[in-house]
Amino acid sequence: MALEHVAHGQARFMTPGVAPDPRGIVLGRYLLLVFPTLEGVVSWLRLYSHESSLDELVAGLEIVRVRTPLMSREMILRVPAVSSYAADRAGRLARLVGGSIYTGTAKHFVKYRDDRSPYGYDAVEIGALPAGAELMVHGDDFTQTYVREGEVSLQRLLFRLSLRRVPGAARLGPDDRADLVLAVARGLGDGVIRYLWRNRCDGAVGLVTPRARGADLGATLAGDPSYLLVRVRDLPERILELFLGTPGIDVFRPITDNVAVAVGWAHPVELASVASLLPADTYHVFWPGDRVDLLAGPLELSRLADLTRVDLELEGGREPQAGEVRAPDPVAVPLRLAPASGLARRVSATLVPLAQTAYFKRLVYLLPPQALRGLRVAVTERGIVVVAAQDLDVVPLGTLLTELAPGILVPIGMEVVPRVSPEVLAQALGHGAGVLTVFTSDGPPFQLPEAKLAPLERRTVGRLEADGVDVRDVALAPPGDPTVVNDPLGRFSLWGFPEPEQKLLGE
Amino acid sequence: MPRPSVATFLERFVLPLVAGGEVHVGRPLTSADLARFEADLGHATVPLVAVDEARTEVVAELVARPPALVLEGDDLALAAGLHDALVLAHPDADGALVTDGMRRRIAGAALRMVSVPLTRDRTRVLARHALLHNLLDLGRNDVTVTWWTGRARFLGQAAPARLTAWKGVRRVREEVARAGFDELLASPEVAPVVAALVRRTPLTLLLTASPVAPPLHWEDAVFLVRDAELARAVAYAAIRPEDPRAQVAVPARLAAAFEQMLERTPPAADVRAVAAFLVHLAGLLAMAEAHLTSPSARSPLLSAVLAGGPGAGRARGLATFLALPAALARVAPTLATPPGLVAEPAWQRRWQAFATQVMELVGAPLVDSLAARLARHLGAT
Repeated sequence: MALEHVAHGQARFMTPGVAPDPRGIVLGRYLLLVFPTLEGVVSWLRLYSHESSLDELVAGLEIVRVRTPLMSREMILRVPAVSSYAADRAGRLARLVGGSIYTGTAKHFVKYRDDRSPYGYDAVEIGALPAGAELMVHGDDFTQTYVREGEVSLQRLLFRLSLRRVPGAARLGPDDRADLVLAVARGLGDGVIRYLWRNRCDGAVGLVTPRARGADLGATLAGDPSYLLVRVRDLPERILELFLGTPGIDVFRPITDNVAVAVGWAHPVELASVASLLPADTYHVFWPGDRVDLLAGPLELSRLADLTRVDLELEGGREPQAGEVRAPDPVAVPLRLAPASGLARRVSATLVPLAQTAYFKRLVYLLPPQALRGLRVAVTERGIVVVAAQDLDVVPLGTLLTELAPGILVPIGMEVVPRVSPEVLAQALGHGAGVLTVFTSDGPPFQLPEAKLAPLERRTVGRLEADGVDVRDVALAPPGDPTVVNDPLGRFSLWGFPEPEQKLLGE
Repeated sequence: MPRPSVATFLERFVLPLVAGGEVHVGRPLTSADLARFEADLGHATVPLVAVDEARTEVVAELVARPPALVLEGDDLALAAGLHDALVLAHPDADGALVTDGMRRRIAGAALRMVSVPLTRDRTRVLARHALLHNLLDLGRNDVTVTWWTGRARFLGQAAPARLTAWKGVRRVREEVARAGFDELLASPEVAPVVAALVRRTPLTLLLTASPVAPPLHWEDAVFLVRDAELARAVAYAAIRPEDPRAQVAVPARLAAAFEQMLERTPPAADVRAVAAFLVHLAGLLAMAEAHLTSPSARSPLLSAVLAGGPGAGRARGLATFLALPAALARVAPTLATPPGLVAEPAWQRRWQAFATQVMELVGAPLVDSLAARLARHLGAT
């Protein structure tokens, strides 16, 4: 028997460098986890990283390849013994994956506690290490010495581990799709950006070049290694599926601020728990197939909207004039009106042709007071523009218009293509606050200042002549307080007043 | 002197009493006169209709559908009794040739006339109020004429032309002073008449804001607050949008009468009804301040009327009025909060802030005392 059980309160131990912690459990400065192979180490890291943070252990963590006197090789993982709770977890997981755990400080490590000895173990006898031996572990009925053969860097190990495919992980929920990273081959860049913009996906784009990280990278990335990195927000599911199935486009899911892992794949180790091993000034992109791209970080990305090219047709050299669309910059794609694909919007205005002015005047007599107050009109060369504060559902004349963007009116059921954002459209049209831009199906759009719109009730009624009349006050005079007026009674008026009859009063 | 006819009496006394104007007081009316008036009522249709229309206008301010009012014998008796009471304030009834016995006989006749049965019939109550609603506003213009050699005083009578002629030469000066209810009907001689009269029109007493009004007996008036429409009219008349002290004057007077009621042995149901009505008034005052920016802001009304602590010019009954909800919360919690406040959180918060501030200002001992008195009547501890 090489070990003896530690009793509660025991303070003196044979094993050097161990002491009881506040719970009375024997603990050295380090924990030594011994595994037959490297797979055991990886399995332990995988389990521990998902249960707790490895960051607290990274400071003193060491993975050592050792050899026994019988020339068999084993792997030792040395981690700092931060607490007996962490040690309990480490021991439980080590035993689960076929390893064993010891504690100690320098060269002698004694078996960590288990169910049979809750306070741990102490070595019965401590002898000198053989020549060349690096450390000695004391087990239940054996002692074993180890000679150090080499060391494996944890960071290197992390980068060399292959991502594993997770069944069903490619289907992301709305929360997971809130922030995604796309790696897009440069040749597809314009198309992807245009596609994203057209589908109103917010995002930012940057051109990145991975740092060379060895021969494997060079082999993978022949030629120009740069590609477009697009960070998109709230990517619709259909687009995600499209991108996942498109060669040249890879989708990644950010794990931390500087780590992204391919969608549908997972790193064996929980990367969020080893953040200290992944430098903050580097952006790590974990690809399927053992590829890890290290990008200079933090990422500096530009607005996706600014990379969208909007081409508008040049209409000669016409000078910009009020009431007409200002001549846009040189463009290649003309703006057109096309049947709208979405739901019908509310009717905000109507453009009544001048030929229907008589009908419109007749209609004014029938409008309810609220409509008269809520409608604003302006008479232009192109027709009478009638704008409503709310829904315009009382004027069945002319071309009904809907508001595409604030102040931009298009015929109902139509929309402007290409479907650029309202901001870009307004910028291209020279549209701004206080201006009304009206698209019509029979000619170029025109603009008019919003100040020219006047309430309909003011426009309809001209100056009226009214006769002055006198006002009669028919109100009742407020009744005055009653005032007692004493009529003359005469000197003998009270004489002869009869004695009241003697009867019970009615109370 | 010719005997007065009922038409003359209606035109010269009753109609101006209802609608305002000159209320002519002449020879005292006897029981025989009253009997004759009642018999002749059917022949005085024109003044009778005028009086009823005037009364309907008065009632129309209180209820949405004024009932049909027809002047009856009881109404006529009340008016005749008031007339005779006013005769005693007539200057000719105070002469050297008028003995105390004569005045006592007139007062006795007046008392007998006004001693018509009490009523709780809604229409009769409204009719009597319409007839006597101006009772406490009755006044008299007393003219004092001063000339270069002397002066004369004419109570409710015009000065003779001979005294006011040649005003400049004789340096005539006329001063008119208005005598109020106190001088007309508050003398010990007619006090029983007036007390009997107002007891027969409790609605008038509830609706009036006059400080000279005789004390209210809640037992006679409690049936009015059980009528929602009349109770609303009384509440709105009591809460007047004036300065804070005037606003709480009538509620305080009603609460003072409630204090007196608690000293007697009223039915518990009457105590509950009056208490609930007074809490409703307090709720109206609290809700009048719902416009305050913060629901928990201090009440300007309470700060104005209760500032300075007990005895600092507080109207009688005011502390009882304001402390009543807190006292009821201990004795009869269902009466302590005006119904409907819970449905509106902002009103509820305002009511609670109002009650909290009242507790701070009136003090717990007063609330304890009131709760103990209420508990005697409501059967709670």
